[in-house]
Amino acid sequence: MKGFTSRATAVALAVLAHVALAAANPIVLHDALQREVRFARPPERIITLLPSLTEMVCALDACGRLVATDRFSNFPASVRTLPKAGGLDDAQIELIVSLKPDVVLLSHVARLTDRLQELGVVNFVIETETYADIGRAADTIGAMLGSPQRAAALRRAMLSAVDEVARQSQRALGARSPLVYYEVDAAPYAAGPQSFIGTLLARLGARNIVTAELGAFPALNPEYVVLHDPDVIFASPADAGNLGRRPGWDRIRAVREHRVCAFSADVRDTIVRPGPRVAEGMQAIADCLDRVAP
Amino acid sequence: MPEAGRTLDQPLPFATPGISCRDLSVAFGSRRVLDRVSLELAPGRWTAIVGPNGCGKSTLLRTMAGLVVPQAGSLELHGRPLQAWPRRERARRLAWLAQNTLASDLSAYECVALGRFAHIGWLGQAGPADVAAIRRAMAATGSLPWGGRRLSSLSGGERQRVSLARVLAAEASVLLLDEPTTHLDPPHQEDIARILRRQAWECGTTVLSAIHDLSLALMADRLIVLGVGAVVGHGTVREALAQNWLSVAFGTPVSIISHDGAFLWRPRLEAQAEIRRQSG
Amino acid sequence: MSIAHASLSGEALALLGREQASRFLPWLTVCLGITLLLTGASLVVGTSDVHTSITWLMSPDAMSDTVLWHIRLPRAVGAWLAGALLGLGGAIAQSLFRNPLADPYLLGSASGAALGVTVSLLAVDASLSGFAWVGGVGVTAAAFIGACGAIALTVALSRGVLETASLLLAGIVVAFVLSAVTSLLLLRSPDTWRTMQTFLLGNTGFLDWRGAALLGAVLLCCFVPAIALSRGLDALMLGEDTAASLGLSLPGLRLMLLVLLSLATATTVGQVGLVGFVGLVAPHLVRQTLHVSQRQLLVAAPVCGGALLQAADLISRWAIQPAELPVGVVTACLGGCYLVLLLWRRTRNA
Repeated sequence: MKGFTSRATAVALAVLAHVALAAANPIVLHDALQREVRFARPPERIITLLPSLTEMVCALDACGRLVATDRFSNFPASVRTLPKAGGLDDAQIELIVSLKPDVVLLSHVARLTDRLQELGVVNFVIETETYADIGRAADTIGAMLGSPQRAAALRRAMLSAVDEVARQSQRALGARSPLVYYEVDAAPYAAGPQSFIGTLLARLGARNIVTAELGAFPALNPEYVVLHDPDVIFASPADAGNLGRRPGWDRIRAVREHRVCAFSADVRDTIVRPGPRVAEGMQAIADCLDRVAP
Repeated sequence: MPEAGRTLDQPLPFATPGISCRDLSVAFGSRRVLDRVSLELAPGRWTAIVGPNGCGKSTLLRTMAGLVVPQAGSLELHGRPLQAWPRRERARRLAWLAQNTLASDLSAYECVALGRFAHIGWLGQAGPADVAAIRRAMAATGSLPWGGRRLSSLSGGERQRVSLARVLAAEASVLLLDEPTTHLDPPHQEDIARILRRQAWECGTTVLSAIHDLSLALMADRLIVLGVGAVVGHGTVREALAQNWLSVAFGTPVSIISHDGAFLWRPRLEAQAEIRRQSG
Repeated sequence: MSIAHASLSGEALALLGREQASRFLPWLTVCLGITLLLTGASLVVGTSDVHTSITWLMSPDAMSDTVLWHIRLPRAVGAWLAGALLGLGGAIAQSLFRNPLADPYLLGSASGAALGVTVSLLAVDASLSGFAWVGGVGVTAAAFIGACGAIALTVALSRGVLETASLLLAGIVVAFVLSAVTSLLLLRSPDTWRTMQTFLLGNTGFLDWRGAALLGAVLLCCFVPAIALSRGLDALMLGEDTAASLGLSLPGLRLMLLVLLSLATATTVGQVGLVGFVGLVAPHLVRQTLHVSQRQLLVAAPVCGGALLQAADLISRWAIQPAELPVGVVTACLGGCYLVLLLWRRTRNA
């Protein structure tokens, strides 16, 4: 009896201590702007203004805590019914404030963060540009939600999925190292090696016709593409059929031999969002590469 | 130069009037500018329109030139209704001079040459007859030395002479001139008066000019005196003076003196003396 | 007989003075010489360095054949033709509206073209089968139809071509309203925004021989009637009332000029997007350096505009090689500099 009582007391003390500790130690995080943000307890009402952040929150099983998203968030399906608070550039401040969120997750837009700050809405800036940001975002949001272990597990799962895709792709490609041109828009704007897409392509073993010093998304002279003669071209479905009409492009190997990859809008979403579905996007690229690379 | 007033005794050379209007009424919105004006202008005569500011001189000329559509009344050119004339035909017979000549990059020669547009047309070349007409017109107005200069580099008076040359070059049978002498110095004003008189008498042109300088206007053969929108009187200069149309139209006594066969407006010396007295 | 002397006999020339005729031809020659230089430079400048290009010219191979004669040359020629059309349009607009700072986009054609392109881009993504054909029409044709439609709307709004002032006012209204509609449509599909931006900033990157041939044909179709109407344009400079009294049919002249203006502008916008300032600067520059009649202006303005756009295209390709600047940005910079220079000279002389 004496042992039980002492053990119960110890447990009770431990619980009390834990609670006290939790109360005394709020979650302190620094966002991408180096601002210190304190959470007394994990936020219950979250608004996300970036599709990748929405997907990350849902991947950490906190979908139920979302009260609103931006208009472009469309995965998973459950978020489609949530109220939409506009985009980053035209966020609906009134809607955001009226929903009384505990935190708003967004990427850096000066006017928006300042305004929310003025109005007393807790906002947290998370960078989601590069491949490395994905893991960091997972950790940060996990810490915020009070489930760092789950975040770590997610991160490990994402990275291993990416590694797996990369490994399989390189095995499938074998000795082939295709020269790739990824067209983001018809100007033509290309994805350079420093961009997120460029990083994915590099991991899959493809070479990019764009060199690093040109930047992340350079507006190329169309002649450049002709001169470098890529083996595979990634374009939007609307442009994919008309590549041959561009002056001089019928000479490009990828155009002549129909080695063009075009993804639907849904698949494109997984590719351009640095979020938990990165492996899916990579798989789509890898499949197409394997199919059409010479 | 024949004296003003001698024309009464000479028969008019043509039977049909050059240009005429009957019960012409023009209104801009709710403002009536001309009210039932009826006139007949015979060819071979130089008629001057006078009247106070805003009496409708410019509007009358513009309506006769076909630039303003009258609310009521009829206009006839050489016996045919104005609207019945095809545009180019009408432009060959009728030339209009605007009050102000716009400065532009056109050269003086090109401006005068445009007066021959009705004869040359869009694509034609200027033939020897056209060039001769242009040359005559420029010589008459003394604008030959400025042939190659831009209108924008000429003074207001020089531009006016170039425009007058343009109107003369058209060799029309009816000339409607809105203030052709306003910017000119007195010697040139007399030159223009001489040209208009010669044009009317020797070429049989119907010349109608709005002139606000009374002495100059009184050099014409006939006068139309406009009150506010209505014709106070239309006749020879002597008739105008005898029936005191000018005083009626201007609303104040207008005294005209006769000197050496010419009629001159007599300035009100008493008023001028008072102005000088006020300035000390 | 040269164009300068075309309407003058020897006697008339004596009246006119030789000084006017003599400056036009040397100016024209210099301009055409600059054009040849720029075309040559266009062959050599691109994503490869000058040395490589010259090597290509010496010893051509399949790649150089494509790059030089199928990419660079049609681009240079097309840019010249597009600039010439804009210069011609600008000359017509400045004479028609008696405003030395008018540009060919005055009657809402720019906004109309932008709306046409937006609709065609959206229709490509749209699932409404009824609009699928719109997407199939292509950006080029959509811009053309949009521009023509906007001008037609302007003319309808001003109830015909009877008054220049009401045409201008209607043009402003149409430009604003169509811009607003375009913006509303773009909000629904933000993916098309980047493509729209390319169009709005001008892009000579995809000019091929077919586009150049189209531009050339339209230039001829607009140039010849414009020259035929040049006497009327001269008369317009005397004022509208005087021109009417000379025997011109003003509504007929205005309608013809509007048709030529819309054809020139719409074709150019379809091929190279919205390139600003060329239509304004080319005729203005001609008037500043030469004093010309309308007929000579209608020849000189296209030549000047062509050289301007060619130069801008060259700069856009060369400045951040191998990336490209939008050509509309370059023309805006050049045009802005020119206007600043004008302003500075004016305040200095005052």
